Amino acid sequence: MAAAAACGGEAAARPPLAFSPCDRRLLAVSGSDGRLRVWEAAGSRLRHEYVPSAHLSAACTCLAWAPPGGRPPPDKDGPQRKKRKSEAAEVDKQLDILAIGTAVGSILLYSTVKGELQSKLDGGHDNRINCVRWHQDNYCLYSCSEDKHIVEWNTQTCKVKCKWKGDNSSVSSLCISPDGKMLLSAGRTIKLWDLETKEVYRHFTGHATSVSSLMFTTVKPMNENKSFDGITGLYFLSGAIHDRLLSVWQIRSDRKEKNAVMSFTVTDEPTFIDLTVSEVKEEPVKLAVVCRDGQLHLFEHILNGYCKKPLTSNCTIQIATPGNDGDSTPKPVPILAAAFCTDKQSLLLVYGNTLQPIIEKVSLNTSESHICLIRDVQKVLALKTEVAVTKVKTPVVNSDTKVLVPGIPGHSAAVKTPSSGKEKNKSKRKPGESEDSIEERLGALDIDVSKVKTPGGLPQTDSFAVLLVQGLESNDSDILNKVLNTRKETLIKNTVARMPIHAVIPLLHELTKRLQGNPYSASQMVRWLKSVFTLHASYLSTLPDLIPQLGMLYQLMESRVKTLQKLSRLHGRLFLLVTQVAASETVQDVTEVNQTAKLVYEDESSEEEGSDDEMIADKDSDENWDEDEEKEEQSDEQDMTVEKEINGDSDLDPENESEEE
Amino acid sequence: MVAAAGLRVVRCGGSPLHGARAVFSADARFLLCTAGDFVKVYSAATEELVRLLRGHGGLVTGVGLNPHNRLQLYSCSLDGSIKLWDFTDGILIKTFTVGYKLLALYALDSCEDSVFVIIPKRGERDTFQLVSVKLTKTTGQDVEAKEFSVVLEGVDASPKCTAFGREGEYVASAKNFHLQVYFFKRKQLNRFSLRATNAKGGNNLFTCVACHPKEDCIATGHADGKIRLWRNFYHNKEYVFSTMHWHHDRVMDLSFSIEGTSLLSGGVEAVLVQWHNGSDCKKDFLPRLGSAIEYISVSSDGTLYCTLHTDNRITIINSNLRFSKSIQGLIRARDVKTGLVVDPRTKALVLNGEAGHLQFYCLQSDKQLYSLDIVQQEYIQQEGLNQTDLVKVAFSAQGKWLATVEEREEEPDLELHLKLWFFDEETQSFKLNTQISMPHDDHITAMCFRDMDELEDDSLILVTAGKDCLFKVWVILEDTDPEAQQSLSWSCDFVGSYHNYQATNCCFSEDGSLLAVSFEETVTVWDSSTWDLKCTFCHPPGKIRDICFGRLTCSKYLIGATDHGFLCCWNLLSCALEWSAHLNVVILQPDPLSEHIAAVSWLSKESSLFVFKPNEPRPICIQRNLCKEKIQFAAFVPRDVPETVGSEKYIWLRRSQLYFLTDAQELMTFSTKSPEERLTVSSKQLAVEESLPVTPFSLLLGKHRHQQSQGDIDLTKVVRNHHEQDSPAVKELLHTPAHVLPSASFLCPIFINSLLISKEKKSAEEVADEVEMESEEAEEDSDEEKDVTEMEQENIKSMDLLEERTCKLSKAEEKELRKVRKMDYSWISAF
Repeated sequence: MAAAAACGGEAAARPPLAFSPCDRRLLAVSGSDGRLRVWEAAGSRLRHEYVPSAHLSAACTCLAWAPPGGRPPPDKDGPQRKKRKSEAAEVDKQLDILAIGTAVGSILLYSTVKGELQSKLDGGHDNRINCVRWHQDNYCLYSCSEDKHIVEWNTQTCKVKCKWKGDNSSVSSLCISPDGKMLLSAGRTIKLWDLETKEVYRHFTGHATSVSSLMFTTVKPMNENKSFDGITGLYFLSGAIHDRLLSVWQIRSDRKEKNAVMSFTVTDEPTFIDLTVSEVKEEPVKLAVVCRDGQLHLFEHILNGYCKKPLTSNCTIQIATPGNDGDSTPKPVPILAAAFCTDKQSLLLVYGNTLQPIIEKVSLNTSESHICLIRDVQKVLALKTEVAVTKVKTPVVNSDTKVLVPGIPGHSAAVKTPSSGKEKNKSKRKPGESEDSIEERLGALDIDVSKVKTPGGLPQTDSFAVLLVQGLESNDSDILNKVLNTRKETLIKNTVARMPIHAVIPLLHELTKRLQGNPYSASQMVRWLKSVFTLHASYLSTLPDLIPQLGMLYQLMESRVKTLQKLSRLHGRLFLLVTQVAASETVQDVTEVNQTAKLVYEDESSEEEGSDDEMIADKDSDENWDEDEEKEEQSDEQDMTVEKEINGDSDLDPENESEEE
Repeated sequence: MVAAAGLRVVRCGGSPLHGARAVFSADARFLLCTAGDFVKVYSAATEELVRLLRGHGGLVTGVGLNPHNRLQLYSCSLDGSIKLWDFTDGILIKTFTVGYKLLALYALDSCEDSVFVIIPKRGERDTFQLVSVKLTKTTGQDVEAKEFSVVLEGVDASPKCTAFGREGEYVASAKNFHLQVYFFKRKQLNRFSLRATNAKGGNNLFTCVACHPKEDCIATGHADGKIRLWRNFYHNKEYVFSTMHWHHDRVMDLSFSIEGTSLLSGGVEAVLVQWHNGSDCKKDFLPRLGSAIEYISVSSDGTLYCTLHTDNRITIINSNLRFSKSIQGLIRARDVKTGLVVDPRTKALVLNGEAGHLQFYCLQSDKQLYSLDIVQQEYIQQEGLNQTDLVKVAFSAQGKWLATVEEREEEPDLELHLKLWFFDEETQSFKLNTQISMPHDDHITAMCFRDMDELEDDSLILVTAGKDCLFKVWVILEDTDPEAQQSLSWSCDFVGSYHNYQATNCCFSEDGSLLAVSFEETVTVWDSSTWDLKCTFCHPPGKIRDICFGRLTCSKYLIGATDHGFLCCWNLLSCALEWSAHLNVVILQPDPLSEHIAAVSWLSKESSLFVFKPNEPRPICIQRNLCKEKIQFAAFVPRDVPETVGSEKYIWLRRSQLYFLTDAQELMTFSTKSPEERLTVSSKQLAVEESLPVTPFSLLLGKHRHQQSQGDIDLTKVVRNHHEQDSPAVKELLHTPAHVLPSASFLCPIFINSLLISKEKKSAEEVADEVEMESEEAEEDSDEEKDVTEMEQENIKSMDLLEERTCKLSKAEEKELRKVRKMDYSWISAF
């Protein structure tokens, strides 16, 4: 009786669960609350729940799915059956019957399709059932119990077919041979029974405690040259409670050898074992052992005779919670069961608690010897009492999602002609180099730009220009904010006019960055941009690496003004004309401030002519720059006139936008 | 041509479940509903498919239980036949051929051997009549049912618009703005009309009719959401109706509860409304049922309601308006734009579901796995409102990344979003990584991932092609910005175009080194590392409809289909056309696990399948006339275990299975197994005898009964035992063979004597008379309650009484009796 109690305690620790045969689509779990739940492996969704009427008094101790399909019903009424067959529904291999062994010795057959109890097998055992097994072909059910007996049931009539004493103590485990003619049973010793005569065929001894699991690992003997009688030469596996070794036995023709052939070592008592049966000699047996400590051990071994040393696992899998928010320590999540998928390449893991296990498919990758999967069980699980009407899942949308809108870097790369594709990498490197070279040259020329002061200019704006340059050089946001937040048009204009030419590109970059920010500051920046373009167009057009430098800005403008194209084009054109005219009139004052040949910029660029005479060719150079940019973008375009037209407005779009704002 | 023997097209999902009102079985354990050409039997408790009744050659339009045998089911179909089924076992009992298209079926208790059906009127289009068909009780499977009589002319074709009243006394049918009621007994037809619109602008069009099961009351639903309850309709003039109004749009279906105390109504709002006692003020709601309610049915015991929804879902609801179960088939999307995509993680088929959702459909179990709300916007039910919907979906090779494109078209603007989702293993759900608004300025025509081993994310590339004449290449970048919360995000790497032609398709070669993008008439091939244009192919004048690369041994080929009806195969090494075939290909689908490519052609309203390898222009397999509808999309789904295919012809089905979706949104596949093979698998059902265990209550009841009967049995047993014990003579007498017995006259006294209860004291005087025996036995019977010992005492008493009487016997009689006593019976024991 004490043994029974101990086993009862053990049952509470590991709940009976069973994967459906063949495709492992369903998982039946009997929780500690006595309810039987069937889960779908795909999506770990609760299929249905069944509460046996005596779930509290007669707890479920073991589960077994009936094999799908099966023997055709007895042909006592032949013709009618035939007719039925021809009309039969196409219910593909429906998994239906689940055998449930209880603690009081009765077996329940539950139909998962109809959701009701089909029958109750009573009168075979008078104590706790330890294991039930379906015969794969003839739909007999075998059960073994604490009452030392093994019973063979006829499930069609629900009657005991045969009952015999299996052991001197309780019988704890059963397994039917692949050919269906032999039965392995185990209490402390393992016995192989001939199912026809119900006589012991072989004994195997070696386990000190009662055997909790039995499994055949091969269906055919490994040496094909011998004639196969259905059982000789096969290997099987056994695990016992409180035992950290799994033993492999071989059934031999000579009766002498009774010890285990080899063994696998695991970290704790095995609670769930699954394996892929090897059919070919070269194919290794894959074994997944879930231990009591919640770890999973994977073994891969070609069974071939003796091996003295216990084998250690190829791979160990553990699951833990992330433990980064709230509770800082990661907690282990116990693995409850594991099963190989039909393709033998992936594994279904069942973890969490038995009331709501999570089933996940993991592809096998045994290159690492220890894998720790991090799973946020709390987030995956949401205990719900109500069933949802629809199976809608909402994916996670966090605030840290990167959002790309037109104009933001990364939304669309610079448009390139097919031929210019290769130059991409080169041009990427260029900006840094060219900047360096300018600095170097300035250094070489020994011109301190910030010190240059023009006597005739307004001191205030001049200091603004100095401030701006300092801000740009030191990348000081305070100074830049102070300067760039100016609203006075004239002040902006003067500042831009007075600033040294080498600061133009850094200013443009700064402006671009700010344009991408909030729309209010963007409208402010547009004013600056406008003055930069009107005043320094000629300089810009001389730059050889203009496209990589200003491509982003261009795209930003493009995308922003896309909506009001015609209006902005007209506005842009008019504005261009007006400013050019005004510029040519007032050009004298500006040039006074401008550096006269502080730096003679030599470049291979073909557009250089425009930069030589700033006054006259101002307009032209402006055009040139646009053309330059546009040409790169739309080389396919053949019509030059059309191109120019587009070019004309492309740089002026920002102004229009500012107009809008 | 290759013979098509052995390969069959099999339907595997998506049949509309809402073709006709569903029916509960009499015990409410099963739910019977139509599904395309089939009738499906679901278990109401587990939502599991129990039986599939098939045999109809057309859409099944109505089901009804046989009123005289509740285990049988009538079904009618557009193929013009009514079939009688035994639905618990899935057996077809009888087929009645009517010969007309049958649009609705009504089976009534009151009618002995006929059912009512709606058929189109001969010679007139769009006119329908309600007729009663006599179903003759002849033996045989196929019966002609040509005997029918017209009940009503000019009825609506919809089964919702006709209903039979209390005990089948009358029939009410509505069409447009008229309601006609026909009384069978009086043979009287009353017609009631409503004005098309009322003063408030409501639409009075009738949409559905239901009759009260106990009273004379008809409920009608209208297009403006009103429900009218009609009474006193035997009079043409004095009829009355009351109006109830809750629905804001058309009432889709009405149904009375079994006792008629409440009325259920449903509409596009996806709310089931229960009206109590026909009053406007008392009503209950069950909201958020997902989608518009098409039909409502009530189980005959009143415990369950069932609603059929337009998105192919059945909802089972408890009578207290609590949601209980739902059965979801393949969701019918308004328009499948995403095509069929296979999720590498779950092996589920992914396609459009409800607006803005992506449904994951498990092919093995023929069930919806789940649907993913990508757009995450509230669905607003309104006519003519443009919803944001998904147009493109792509998974990376291991299912780690999901890219979705959603668009909303509001003339002339177009709203586009490209979302990149990352599968977060920690939480086991998709997580939005990057959202790109307006990735293209016009519709996105194609999207694909570079399918490489994506152990490192850097190699992952996504390409989108748009009608804005560009294709864009997106890559994962590590964010250098320290403020960004996530380390990885997507950004554009390259934008390509070709002569300002619209980009229509894109695909990567198997090793990911080449990208093919088709621009109208031209296919351009780009190097994926430098984004150089390598070469172009074209086959004028046709525009390119679909392109794909060959795989494995055929990776040097590029296949393209043009809309001028040519299938071309270009060699990438020689840059030359290898072969071309004249074939109007609509779908080109390469098998990811083999070299085979499936091409579906559409010619003269017939879809054909051609399977070929790119290295030879001769197809391996040709399957003509796949189905009546046009095939929209196809997809190869890898099998878990390679199937053993007998014929060389079907070797392409070994590693993966081809699924395709038709215009009618039915999912089909191929099966190489013969129907017999498939059936043997399915008919092999474990036959377990039902021996239901007893519940505690029945146990208690049974115990009580058992005790009672036990008492009875005990007593009779006692009595019998008593006799048997005391009469070995009788036993011997009865067991001795007749031919060795002495004469009856000799035996008689012995027999009689043996029946007497022997008593030691007064044995000699005891005389057993027949009369006395009877009285004695009567005494025994009367005192059944007594114990055996008590009974003995009783007997003694009676004997005492008898003694006194025997004293009065004559001397002669006494002498005789003594003689009898002295007789030696030992001879009997010899036997």
